[in-house]
Amino acid sequence: MNNLPDMIWIELRKAIRSRMPLWTALGSLFLPLGIAFLMFVAKNPEVSKKLGLISAKADLLAYSATDWSSYLGLYGMIIAAVGFLLFVLVVSWVFGREFADGTLKDMLAVPVPRGGILLAKFTTVAIWSVALSIVIYVAGLVIGAVIKLPGGSISLILQGSTMVLVTTGLVILGVPPFAFFASVGRGYLLPIGVAVLTLMTTNLMMVVGWAEYFPWAVPGLYAQGETPLPPVSYWIVLFTALVGMLATYLWWKYADQSR
Amino acid sequence: MSLAIETHNLGKRYGDVTAVNSLSLRVAEGEIYAFLGLNGAGKTTTIRLLLGMVKPTAGYADVLQTRVQPGRREPWAAVGYMVEDSRAYPELTVYENLEVARRLHPGVLPKAVDDMIEQMGLSAYADRRARTLSHGNAQRLGLAKALLHAPQLIILDEPSNGLDPAGIVEIRELLQSLVREHGVTVFMSSHILAEVARLADRIGIIHEGRLIQELNISELERDRKRLLVLAVRQLALARTALEAAGYTPLLHADGAIALEDASAIDAPDIIASLLVQAGAPPTRLMVEEEELEQYFLRLVGLEAGVQNE
Repeated sequence: MNNLPDMIWIELRKAIRSRMPLWTALGSLFLPLGIAFLMFVAKNPEVSKKLGLISAKADLLAYSATDWSSYLGLYGMIIAAVGFLLFVLVVSWVFGREFADGTLKDMLAVPVPRGGILLAKFTTVAIWSVALSIVIYVAGLVIGAVIKLPGGSISLILQGSTMVLVTTGLVILGVPPFAFFASVGRGYLLPIGVAVLTLMTTNLMMVVGWAEYFPWAVPGLYAQGETPLPPVSYWIVLFTALVGMLATYLWWKYADQSR
Repeated sequence: MSLAIETHNLGKRYGDVTAVNSLSLRVAEGEIYAFLGLNGAGKTTTIRLLLGMVKPTAGYADVLQTRVQPGRREPWAAVGYMVEDSRAYPELTVYENLEVARRLHPGVLPKAVDDMIEQMGLSAYADRRARTLSHGNAQRLGLAKALLHAPQLIILDEPSNGLDPAGIVEIRELLQSLVREHGVTVFMSSHILAEVARLADRIGIIHEGRLIQELNISELERDRKRLLVLAVRQLALARTALEAAGYTPLLHADGAIALEDASAIDAPDIIASLLVQAGAPPTRLMVEEEELEQYFLRLVGLEAGVQNE
């Protein structure tokens, strides 16, 4: 694996030059800005009257995030749900593009192990995902400060930051199976489709009460932080990551690449 | 003589479709081997089998004395290849694309990228993104990627696709010089016999997944059909005279007579006097060699041209 840095260089280079990180970062900024707008509406009843429907949602949001503590909790939830979709988009691009652009064949008969190439791809996905999380969270902090949320303290923000970071990590661990779907589907469509299905299943799991055993529901439960999760929840998430990476590796190693 | 490529009853089936059937190839080191076939004959599947991109359903392939297995690292440090159309990362420049290829081959020095850009005539495009390249220049970039690490064996799938005539000549000369000066082995596929006849030492013809003939360039000359073509004014008279003399005249294109008999081809003067005596003197008399493409189509059983009346 002494050529891993070279492989990571390749993946980061491809990502940066494609401007995809920039677009995903801009896209993820919509979230904190949207939340800021809703909170602004909720705090200004004269605006809210003009907007009608939106104000109901804004009020709901305003009641659930009236101080720093609940506001940061909201960000954990956002990263668990919307962050998940963003990260799947990232993993779909990093893996699926080799199929969509027909560039896969040039990395198959090379004196570098396919495992190294895949590890570099997963590393890139992780770096990229963490960066997006940071963009979302920092924008959230800035907005929170601008709208002068009450009840803020350094320790509270540190606590919130840790929660957001751990949530990000848990979400990222749920993403490797989508690298497998991008490879099997040879593009972007399958992983994104499965991700939407996964979010729907997550809601279902919440309703029936099995959420703590469903790896893609665990980050959201963790972010809510109401009841501590059983250790098996974390093991399931870790196991999902390993299975996803192993499946991707086996597929890259053994599946026929005839396109 | 050691072999650069050796396959033993190599086969690939996709369900009911047999793409490659019991293929046994032997390509010696330092030779240019052309793998000729129509579209869909199994050329690309064979190349993917040789490169370990698809698994054989029968037999095996040895490349540079190493058994080809999926996902292995050997023998690829010494193999350069281009499969089907050349693809590059559209957002990266020509230089960056080659840099990616370089890092996929540990031990290749950065200078190789500059050298290859110059050698392939891509200097003017080095900082252009690959998506802006013309088809011909994209093909050059593909070749540059294949040759970057100075491989011992070069496997090329229809390398002259998309190149203009000057580019085709240039690539031919480049490959010839690599073979001559560095003892490189070239395995290339093509569907145009005339193109590879000038370049290859040996030609393997694949049809419907089977290797139907393997021949040296000298054999190619020998095996091509030759015809004695005669144009006469009195067609019926000439045919009767020729048939009476024991020849089998065939009707050739544009109303001429064609003779396949070796005795006629070797002695056109005798045929000429025969026709003069019969009162049907030839207005044109020439030995015609079968066109390469016609020869190729005859080999694969899709003959057109000379027809028996």
